[in-house]
Amino acid sequence: MAAAGLGPARLFLGRRRGAMRALLGLARGLASGPQTHFGFQNVSEEERREKIYQVFENVAEKYDVMNDSMTLGIHRVWKDILVHKMNPSPGTLLVDVAGGTGDIAFRFINYVHSIRERQLQQKLKRHQNLSWQEISKSYEEEKVKPLGDSQVVVCDINKEMLKVGKQRAQHLGYSEGLSWVLGNAEELPFDDDKFDVYTIAFGIRNVTRIDLALQEAYRVLKPGGRFLCLEFSHVSNPLLSRLYDLYSFQVIPVLGEIIAGDWKSYQYLVESIRRFPPQEELKEMIEDAGFFKVDYQNLSSGIVAIHSGFKL
Amino acid sequence: MAAAAAGSLRRAGWRLWRGRAGLRCQLYPPQRALHASAVLRRASDEQKKEPLASSPQQQFDSPPTDPQPDHEPQGSRPSYTGQGGQESEDYESEEQLQHRILTAALEFVPEHGWTAEAIAEGAKTLGLSVAAAGMFHSDGSELILHFVSQCNTKLSDLLEQEQKLVQLGETEKKPTDQFLRDAVEARLRMLIPYIEKWPQAVSILLLPHNIPSSLNLLTSMIDDIWHYAGDQSTDFNWYTRRAVLTGIYNTTELVMMQDSSPDFEETWRFLENRIADAMNMGNTAKQVQSTGEALAQGLMGAAVTVSNAETNKAVRAELCSVPCLMLACLPS
Repeated sequence: MAAAGLGPARLFLGRRRGAMRALLGLARGLASGPQTHFGFQNVSEEERREKIYQVFENVAEKYDVMNDSMTLGIHRVWKDILVHKMNPSPGTLLVDVAGGTGDIAFRFINYVHSIRERQLQQKLKRHQNLSWQEISKSYEEEKVKPLGDSQVVVCDINKEMLKVGKQRAQHLGYSEGLSWVLGNAEELPFDDDKFDVYTIAFGIRNVTRIDLALQEAYRVLKPGGRFLCLEFSHVSNPLLSRLYDLYSFQVIPVLGEIIAGDWKSYQYLVESIRRFPPQEELKEMIEDAGFFKVDYQNLSSGIVAIHSGFKL
Repeated sequence: MAAAAAGSLRRAGWRLWRGRAGLRCQLYPPQRALHASAVLRRASDEQKKEPLASSPQQQFDSPPTDPQPDHEPQGSRPSYTGQGGQESEDYESEEQLQHRILTAALEFVPEHGWTAEAIAEGAKTLGLSVAAAGMFHSDGSELILHFVSQCNTKLSDLLEQEQKLVQLGETEKKPTDQFLRDAVEARLRMLIPYIEKWPQAVSILLLPHNIPSSLNLLTSMIDDIWHYAGDQSTDFNWYTRRAVLTGIYNTTELVMMQDSSPDFEETWRFLENRIADAMNMGNTAKQVQSTGEALAQGLMGAAVTVSNAETNKAVRAELCSVPCLMLACLPS
């Protein structure tokens, strides 16, 4: 995964800075945790968590705008495909981890709402000779339970992202079946066997200990529950890979500077994508956490992949 | 070295998940012990409840089908002893769990149709989350294929039992047309509880990605029926017999779907007529051949007669023309 253009120079500087920091870290004491990566730098785990928190604190306001401009709006399609793959039925409990600004949660609510409407319509169609009372009762039922007991809990470690998410929900008019919880993916504040579906869209890359997050996912899911992960992944096509690298390292940080005023955060973003394990490796990690029928689907020829597993 | 080899084996054989599971267990026993399966029951429990968990006739599974589902449950999940001193037990496989879910889903089909909703309801009755329906294709095709395969297995068992009774001498051997009629009727009667949603099922089975599996199930069922009917032909008859019975079965199924008579009497009468037609087809073929030959001879004779008549006319015309010519020549 060679970075193009400025990449090597940055890499070199990054390594130097990282080495210095590592020495300082050693000096500070080994209690700050084992070494891990932050983009192309090497940092301790504590530091990584802090830095990522800061990254998202900085980008929270402009997160959605940047998503649209970086992916040219295709991220909406990816998220739609994720929710279609989930195919939730009314009554499903979803926990969307690292779901800060609520994209997946809103899509989930829309989907369940339309399924519920279709169910009620079919019920009406089947009973041909209904009295007016029965018809009005079914409409009332629709108003009282538009989602049919489905609920989504949006969990994020970052307060700023949750704040932006709540504002968006208010703005778009989502109130039913939605709750916002502050929590760490490596240590979720929920009981065991609680949720039907666990999703983490473009979030697992930022988790420091992925195996812990996967174990937590396993814990909070009900038996039969589904784990879904949407994340940037490895492009195997060499030509596309070169174009993608070029775009990532040359265009995205520039966009970050212009739109959000933050070059470094977006530099971190593209570097973290390169450091993330590819499809097969992530699949094995998910299997190690105890999930069955683990499979992945490449979107946009590998730029993004959806991994799915079941707790059986 | 072992880890590298195991790693590459894992990557190569990711679809044969049983092999994978075995290797993984050998390398990471502590992790697996932590995550004992939440749902997959022990094979011993399951065998107490269901004598037949999976049938050897289920050929419709996608390529990673386990070739011997019945022989493998013992080795399906690796046994491990690290769980607080518990004895190592064998667990059922994912496929067996899927079959259980689909069987449970069948009772919700009259209400929800052959859809992912029925599968979700089925999963709920087993104590699983509704998200387990995500294991299957969202158009419900696996449910239908499972049902068809189950019906075929039941039919085979029925025919085998009948054959045993005949061999023991307790019943008479039925004539072929009676046998075929009873077999097809028995098979179609299994559709009666789901007959309202059956048109939906047929349309889903005709989707391009389902055609190989559904055709496979259909042909194996027809083959079974002929086998138990005592067909031992080795010539082209083998094909004609099966083609004819397939035609009869499909048309009777279609008639059944729109039949509203009590207990589907019309359907069984239709079936009787079609089988009688099929039986007569042999005689009819011979008759057609002989008629054809007779007709051909008749035509030949007519042609000869006509050509003779033509020749005669021509000769007579010639003969007539000569004296005329002569008469014409005289005055000169």
